[in-house]
Amino acid sequence: MESRKVSREDVTRLYHEHGPALLAYASSFVADRGLAEDLLHQVFAKLLEGGRSLPDVPAAYLYRAVRNAALNTRRNGFCETGLDATNGCFVHRGGDKEAALALQVALAALPDEQREVVVMRIWSGMTLDEVAAATGVSLNTVASRYRYALQKLREKLKPFQQTEEL
Amino acid sequence: MDGNDEQFENYLREFEPRRPRALELKRQSAPDSWRRLAAAAVVMIALGTSLWLVLHSPERQGFRTVSGDKAAVGIRLSIVPLTKLAETDPTQLDAELATASRRVLPDFRGEESTLQVLARK
Repeated sequence: MESRKVSREDVTRLYHEHGPALLAYASSFVADRGLAEDLLHQVFAKLLEGGRSLPDVPAAYLYRAVRNAALNTRRNGFCETGLDATNGCFVHRGGDKEAALALQVALAALPDEQREVVVMRIWSGMTLDEVAAATGVSLNTVASRYRYALQKLREKLKPFQQTEEL
Repeated sequence: MDGNDEQFENYLREFEPRRPRALELKRQSAPDSWRRLAAAAVVMIALGTSLWLVLHSPERQGFRTVSGDKAAVGIRLSIVPLTKLAETDPTQLDAELATASRRVLPDFRGEESTLQVLARK
């Protein structure tokens, strides 16, 4: 298949589709939302540089690029600000700010590969097959990573979920 | 995946990631090929101008300065007419050259000419 060059429209569309999920993903590496947004912008701006070809699976490329950029930032010793409601990257539809912060903390505590699967599946709307293709691992591996991740998140969010059910 | 997982997935979807601030994409700079083309155009224009100046220079149009101090002497000896004159009337050519040389070459017969000064010393 002939690959085509990335256009501004492609970048804008991908940013619209995956930007929020990628921001949540980046925020699980660097707690400061401003820094996470800067990382995101760098990654998308890089897509336009030097007439690159559009990656076969753009979401996979974006997740990998965000992770690398975030790890580099962390390695370079950037100060991280503490997490608070204004700095959080999730908003709960019912307005539960504490639960939103707890989710962000719980996500950050997951191993990278489990966190990636959850964010791709829940907030980028990808199927497990697509996640497997994007991450280059088997569907079984993706499914088990996802299951473990949900288990851990459920544990940590149980108090909030129960409150909601009452 | 069981019903519990699906229920929990739905719970997770109640959390919406915040939208990041708008993406500011700089205008794409011109590709390298365009830059190279522009540079080539500039070089071509420079070469063309130089060539035009050379082709339209007085020397190219039959005039060749014999004297170095054109402004002072106010004369230009043209090769082409002089050549023609040499072919048709050599005597006239000698006369022309003698007249020109008096104007073009420094006069060593004057009171303050270099030769006179040296002779006095």
